Amino acid sequence: MAVIEAEHLSKRFGKKVLAVDDVSFSIEPATITGFLGPNGAGKTTTLRMLVDLVRPSGGTIRILGSRYRDLARPTTRVGALLDASGFHPGRSGANALRVVATSAGISYDRVDAALEMVELEGAARRAVKGYSTGMKQRLALAAALLGDPEVLLLDEPANGLDPEGVRWLRTFLRARAAEGRTVLISSHVLAEVEQTVDDILIISRGKLLAHGPINELTRTAQPVVRARAPQAEKLEGLLVAKGAAVNRLGDALAIRGPGSAEVGEIAHAGGLVLHELLTEQPSLEDLFLQIAGTRKES
Amino acid sequence: MSALLRAELLKLRSTRTALGMGIAAALVTILPAVLLIAFLPKSTIGGDQAPGILTAGSSLVTYILLVFGILGMTGEYRHGTITYTYLATPRRGRVIVVKLVVYALVGCVAMLLALLLANLIGVIGLPMRGVSYPAPDGAALADYARQIVTAGLITAFGVALGALFRAQVVTVAGTLIWALMIEPLIVVFKPHIGAWLPFNVFSQVISLRIGDTGSAAEGLSRPEAFLVSIGYIAAVSVLAVFISMRRDVT
Repeated sequence: MAVIEAEHLSKRFGKKVLAVDDVSFSIEPATITGFLGPNGAGKTTTLRMLVDLVRPSGGTIRILGSRYRDLARPTTRVGALLDASGFHPGRSGANALRVVATSAGISYDRVDAALEMVELEGAARRAVKGYSTGMKQRLALAAALLGDPEVLLLDEPANGLDPEGVRWLRTFLRARAAEGRTVLISSHVLAEVEQTVDDILIISRGKLLAHGPINELTRTAQPVVRARAPQAEKLEGLLVAKGAAVNRLGDALAIRGPGSAEVGEIAHAGGLVLHELLTEQPSLEDLFLQIAGTRKES
Repeated sequence: MSALLRAELLKLRSTRTALGMGIAAALVTILPAVLLIAFLPKSTIGGDQAPGILTAGSSLVTYILLVFGILGMTGEYRHGTITYTYLATPRRGRVIVVKLVVYALVGCVAMLLALLLANLIGVIGLPMRGVSYPAPDGAALADYARQIVTAGLITAFGVALGALFRAQVVTVAGTLIWALMIEPLIVVFKPHIGAWLPFNVFSQVISLRIGDTGSAAEGLSRPEAFLVSIGYIAAVSVLAVFISMRRDVT
């Protein structure tokens, strides 16, 4: 049985903003699913709809078989990191968690355990206003873990974490999935989650563009040809004229469409010198740009 | 529900807001009482008027409690803690009801402490002016009891207003402007309407006077004022719950 099911989910803010548009997906147990899309794509709104903080304009959501509000002691079933700034600045980290624990009927032992899990036990007695962004992020993660939930919903959890923190988060999430927990993690930094997730959902402008295992999706994506040329701008013009999608940074080009042989032939026909030409399997970022680009064109 | 009650009490204990409000309430209780005992003639501070002089600051205490109630609810939105509150208790009506109950109780206790403090100042201060401290009689105790109940009602009213309007500064400023400027003007110019306005109704639970103007004949009886004040709290709370259940927490 799917842990999370959304069917024809939509959310409209006012008359003009359609934040989520007819989105349907399901998340299987014990997987880490990346919920990817640019800023403003509708990721946060979707996550908030899953836990009843935002009312859908249409469609249905089931989480662990029922609506979030119908779950008994919901924070012991579903842990959510949605807002790292959602703590009173004058309250200590430990007290912030104790407030959450008390209202959810969770023992204070779990507060200590969660603080230890996010390596924040040394700062537990300090007021939250003295925390760095990364520390607040860890505290929010601790709040999500308080009830030892089987489902974790994490909205941009790597925000404010330093590279060491991001690595720690990756290891941490892998460990949770190994325990059989289901994780839905949103991010707009694709490289950040590429090494962490099993499945991905790609959303842009409120529309779900792709959903499936990351390996399958990247395998079916077009390979990317990378080239370096002293006259990169001229080469870009020739490639675009042939219908290729090109991203250029200085003398480096990332080309989608033609294969490396064709790129070489186009450069040769134009009398251009190439310093590098290779074919790469697409990264998650390439896949996203392909899918989002296709969508924009259609 | 008991978990929610305990969580609300922990919220109060774990920040300095309640402490700050308590200090402010103590100051507005102590200062008027001390100044009046020190500077009013002996003939005024002795006898029947002593209880009223000692508790001169209690109306200010009720305004502090009103703001305290507003902060208790709007603070959740201002600091974003409402996200965790509603994640733990998705039935939002329960959150608001528990807050109303807790803050009403806190308001009652705060006023009780303020009255005790005022009388302590009387016990110490009046003999220093050569006036004996008159122990409160039945009428004074009944008046104190009404002040305690009204303090609870006003604190709960602050919570209900905070739940309805959310924006902290706007709610505090708007409520105080209404209570201290607009309502008194309506009472002066249209006393028959003013008698039914919320803060005047609360004051009529304590006394038959409608503000400092108008006559008792134009006011409500105490039971009427009590019922109307409960009606105000219930109406604003029901509206707040209704709107909160439909409001997105973004």
